[in-house]
Amino acid sequence: MANTQAIPKTFRLDLMNGLHAFGASVIRGATTKDSFKAALYLASATIDSTATAYTATGEVSGSGYTAAGIAVTNATAPANTGGTGIVSFWTPSASLVFSTVTLATSFDCVMFYNDTAAGKNAVSVNTFGATTVSAATFTLTMPTNDLTTGLIRLS
Amino acid sequence: MQIRSSILSNTEPLVYTTKGNLPISSLEYFHAWENEENHMKFIQGYKLDGEIVKQEAHVYLKKGMGIEAALESF
Repeated sequence: MANTQAIPKTFRLDLMNGLHAFGASVIRGATTKDSFKAALYLASATIDSTATAYTATGEVSGSGYTAAGIAVTNATAPANTGGTGIVSFWTPSASLVFSTVTLATSFDCVMFYNDTAAGKNAVSVNTFGATTVSAATFTLTMPTNDLTTGLIRLS
Repeated sequence: MQIRSSILSNTEPLVYTTKGNLPISSLEYFHAWENEENHMKFIQGYKLDGEIVKQEAHVYLKKGMGIEAALESF
């Protein structure tokens, strides 16, 4: 029986669950999962892969919207099952709902970030085309939580 | 009960807008779809004399993003 070099499938999942630290890390206060939030950004902002943490710069503002965004529902832990691939994935378990807001300046971006981390570290930046909302609800429905469409996938 | 029923049937629905609650008959409804590679968007709302006074948007993110791990050979 031959050996095969590989990055173990569980490694990806362990990364998502914070079990490895090849560099300096942080002292975690508990073994429980972190809390995450989602903030919206103006179409004129420059949020991209260089984003390191939540920032108020370029964030939307308007009636009904609270700076720093809203809490992300995280009822489903990262997984690596459901297919033959070696992908680990995670997706918020509910839609993001910004109720009765007026965001008159065009926005097109949402940043997910770790609200438990002292540095409010960025997790994901997703764009969805320029949008405005007036005296109504803005909803972001999450993709199917699996190894091909999950919001965050490590392969 | 009969009076109450009568009042309800004669009451025109009001729509919450940036200009307060307005009778639905005074407003013009509009909607639009956007279907892109990574998202689908539905927008609907009302205009008053051409001005948007209510607009909601619902975005479906079709797909998140992936990070690929690479392993160097010795």
